[in-house]
Amino acid sequence: MNLASYRKKSPWILHYNAGGCNGCDIEILACLAPKYDIERFGMINTGNPKQSDILLVTGPVTKRSRERLVEIYAQMPEPKVVISCGACASTGGVFRGMYNCEGGVDQFIPVDVYVCGCGTRPEQIIDGVVQALAILEKKTKELEESVKLKREAVKEGHQLNRRHIADEIKPVLS
Amino acid sequence: MYFFITGLFLLPLIVSGLLLVLPGKISKRLVILTSFLLSALALYIFINTTAPLYFSVPGYVNEVVAGADILLLVYFGWVALRKKSGLVGILTVLQLAGLLYLLKTLPASHSMQFMVDKLSVFMFLLINVISGIIAVFSLRYIEEEACSAFRKKYFLSILFWFIGVMNLVVSSDNLEYFFLFFELTTLASFLLIGFRKDAVSVKNALTALWMNQVGGLAILAAIFFIAYNGYGEATFSNLLAHTAEKGILLPLALIAVAAISKGAQLPFSKWLLGAMVAPTPVSALLHSSTMVKIAPFIILRLSPALKDTPVAMVLIGLTGFVFIAAAVGALAQDNFKRILAHSTIALLALMIMMGAMGTPVTIVASLVLILFHGISKCMLFLNAGVLERVFHLKETSDMDRLGESGPFTSLVITLGFMSLLLPPFGAFIGKWLSIETLGALATEKKILGALVMVAIAGGGAVLSLLYFKVMGGLVSRSGEQDRVRFEKTGPIYSATIYILLGLVLAGMIGLPLLLTHYFAPVAAETGRQAVPVVTEGWNLYIASMRLPILPLLVAFFLLPVTVITALFIRFRKVDRAREYMCGEKLNYSFSSFYFSTDRATPYFYAAGVLFLASLILVALI
Amino acid sequence: MNDVLIPVILILLAPLLGGLLYGFERIVKARMQRRIGPPLLQPFYDFLKLAGKRRMMVHSAHAFLGIMHFVSLWFALAVLLLGGDLILVIFLHLLSTSLLILAGYSTRSIFSHLGANRAAISVLAYEPVLIILAVSIFMLNGTFDTAAVFTSSEPLLYKMPLAFIALLLVLPIKLKKSPFDVAEAHQEITGGVELEFSGLFYEAVYTAKWLDYVFCYTLVFLFAGSNILLGAGLLVFTFLYLNALDNSTARVSYKQMLRFSLGVAFSLAFINLLINSLT
Ligand code: SF4
Repeated sequence: MNLASYRKKSPWILHYNAGGCNGCDIEILACLAPKYDIERFGMINTGNPKQSDILLVTGPVTKRSRERLVEIYAQMPEPKVVISCGACASTGGVFRGMYNCEGGVDQFIPVDVYVCGCGTRPEQIIDGVVQALAILEKKTKELEESVKLKREAVKEGHQLNRRHIADEIKPVLS
Repeated sequence: MYFFITGLFLLPLIVSGLLLVLPGKISKRLVILTSFLLSALALYIFINTTAPLYFSVPGYVNEVVAGADILLLVYFGWVALRKKSGLVGILTVLQLAGLLYLLKTLPASHSMQFMVDKLSVFMFLLINVISGIIAVFSLRYIEEEACSAFRKKYFLSILFWFIGVMNLVVSSDNLEYFFLFFELTTLASFLLIGFRKDAVSVKNALTALWMNQVGGLAILAAIFFIAYNGYGEATFSNLLAHTAEKGILLPLALIAVAAISKGAQLPFSKWLLGAMVAPTPVSALLHSSTMVKIAPFIILRLSPALKDTPVAMVLIGLTGFVFIAAAVGALAQDNFKRILAHSTIALLALMIMMGAMGTPVTIVASLVLILFHGISKCMLFLNAGVLERVFHLKETSDMDRLGESGPFTSLVITLGFMSLLLPPFGAFIGKWLSIETLGALATEKKILGALVMVAIAGGGAVLSLLYFKVMGGLVSRSGEQDRVRFEKTGPIYSATIYILLGLVLAGMIGLPLLLTHYFAPVAAETGRQAVPVVTEGWNLYIASMRLPILPLLVAFFLLPVTVITALFIRFRKVDRAREYMCGEKLNYSFSSFYFSTDRATPYFYAAGVLFLASLILVALI
Repeated sequence: MNDVLIPVILILLAPLLGGLLYGFERIVKARMQRRIGPPLLQPFYDFLKLAGKRRMMVHSAHAFLGIMHFVSLWFALAVLLLGGDLILVIFLHLLSTSLLILAGYSTRSIFSHLGANRAAISVLAYEPVLIILAVSIFMLNGTFDTAAVFTSSEPLLYKMPLAFIALLLVLPIKLKKSPFDVAEAHQEITGGVELEFSGLFYEAVYTAKWLDYVFCYTLVFLFAGSNILLGAGLLVFTFLYLNALDNSTARVSYKQMLRFSLGVAFSLAFINLLINSLT
């Protein structure tokens, strides 16, 4: 019995709306409801970056939410996976090129899974999450590998101060 | 032995006089030396006292005491005239009339005026050690006070005078002497509370004066009734010799009224709350070692007579009510010292209640509470002084940066509050003993016991909420400050607080030993009954109460050790992340919840007056 | 021999039991909402996952206090199961809660502070009831030791049904169940005091919650005395009741909670005490 294989059965989700129209958010909530019930995969919507593994971002990144997005991402402990949920989170969608939007989550944080659709369907979201789980497992392995080889998780320095990561975030479009 | 005991009486009084005339530098050394000497004396007397020691003083002292009484009352009368306080005036006139009448009718000869038994010696130790520490602390505190050099000396002088008078109070057997010393402590507190001379101070000093005068008047009345009953001389020991008689209830009730007024129980709680305007060492002195501790002392002294009387029942009811009322009243407070004052009143109520119940376990509980409450409260009040002087903070809602600027002060205050609340601290043991004995009371006394139990359970929970509320403001630190550096507050401040912290921790570790060798003998002599304390394996039995030592020992590592190591421990190889604020990076200031319970205060006072009336009424019937 | 062995085994297995209970509860709760729910061992999966996360914290004092909360709670549970003094147990539990509250206060995080404030208020809401219960038990048994309760052949339930109702009313506060879950309030203050813990440190707080389950159900079990069948019945009943309540009610504000627990549960406990003392 390999205990480690059970790890991926417990992905906790943080849901962040970076300025979308709430269409995708409603679909995400639908996943939790009895019809799709993603809790059967052990998923919980925690609402708390410090205890979650998967960051579900919806919406184009507005200028106001830019730093908050990065701050929240920094507060999540590795291994972590980012899913951009919906067209506007992936590319900017209908908001692309607007004066108040940066367009796309991947300009600020690395995205692992893109889920398409303007108004993603719950099935798609679940599909994305399941894909994300595989990535999460891979990342976990990598992290462990590095621990095994180097006896420490990250190559540079034992401890990382993440307190000021988001301070340096500059706008992408000027 | 006489020599040492009189030394304890006279040394502070002499030093008090000397401090007025000596220059600053010498008087500083004198204060430290005297504090040390007094503690050593008290310890010596404590170790060497076996049997109660009765002794008389030469006859001319009686005249001196009578003269001093009259002089004191004349001074009060003068205060009443100058400050135009009708209440003080009326009470002074009443007291003077009563005193003159008693002096005329009662025989002037006394056999034994002083009695030093284990209870007195127990009090000596508390008074001299704790007050000595406070006196040293106030050396520095008063230096920073904005007043003339003479008044600074005057302040220290009154402190020592207070200590001397307290030593006299707890060792006088004769009620006439007791009356004088009782009134002298009133005078000392009046002077100290009014020390800052502003309008509020003067007003609160007058409140303290008249409320304590009620107590003095009650003592005079008690003396009258003792004579009227034909018990002979008005002494505590005479009173205790007539325990079973019916007429004894009235003097007992009257002396209990005196205790209630000194102990700031409802309806007299206002004076102690008002005393907060005085410099902080005064509050520390009033709350921890002197003044209010007279109340449980008197009750303990009388407990063999009080036990199981209707007066004791009313007293238990009253104190149960005060416990919850004071706790509820405290929730509405923001001022740090006022919160402390409320908690003092509540815990005093518990001590008085335990004294009034008079079983072996309750007397032990009362003594444990007196000692450990004294130490913890002194520590908290001295920290209040530090907060005021070093950090310029008075309100708890302003203290949310203290965890960063003053981690040591914040740690000590946290430990101080926890020591009043949680195992394994001494004050908790007192509370624990109280709850368990109240269970027995509820079985015997039915409704009264049940009601008191509810008051204690509810009041205790309210107090814990209160402590959390205050602690919550003090301990927060931002993640930027992982490494803690204790602040420097000055040698005198930190030395006194370190000593007190050491006492709290030492008292906790040595508790089983203290219970068997320290509290049990005192309780046995006070309650006039054997207090069997046996250690069997990991259990300590006090009468039928079982104290398991092992859990308390583990709790020692779980609480004080944990809280202290939490400040110093540093985890390596762990990332630091910012506090979660929905991705925001602002700095917030914190405040706590607030309950407005002020509306209930008039009802509390009314209920207190009712209880007081029924106390006398029960005695009359 | 048995009276020591069983408690010791229970104590050692307490986190395991609590975890299973928690997993089962999540299933039952899901089924009540016509969902399938997570697998039974889900809490342990969570446990394994949390252990593998990269370590992160706000500051060391905060993380350390969280761990000590777990340790002290386990200790309080041990004293309870080994038949210790009930008042001492209640205060040891308060000790562990206060360490968590202190941890919540020790960071400069708004949600953590809010949660700690509310946890302190919850203490006010359930603690007097528990103390009154302990005293009532004392009046029936003549001792505060739970050992005497575990071995007494007459179940407390028949003698003090009101007290049991009072306990049922405050249990949701202690276990942070709706409608009295203000202290945790996941959607409102994102977990309150637990918020700032992550990874291994959150593990301590998370498993402490399982221990709290065992603690509370042991309190329920006290009411059955040595009657194991009745005890099992009570446990099942309490379990279903708590989950049904959790599923069917909305969160009330902390003031309403305080008013309810001090007004209703506390009065019930008091009436029970009165009845006990009069008969
Ligand atoms: S992708 Fe479409 S539905 Fe989703 S948030 Fe963006 S605009 Fe709304």
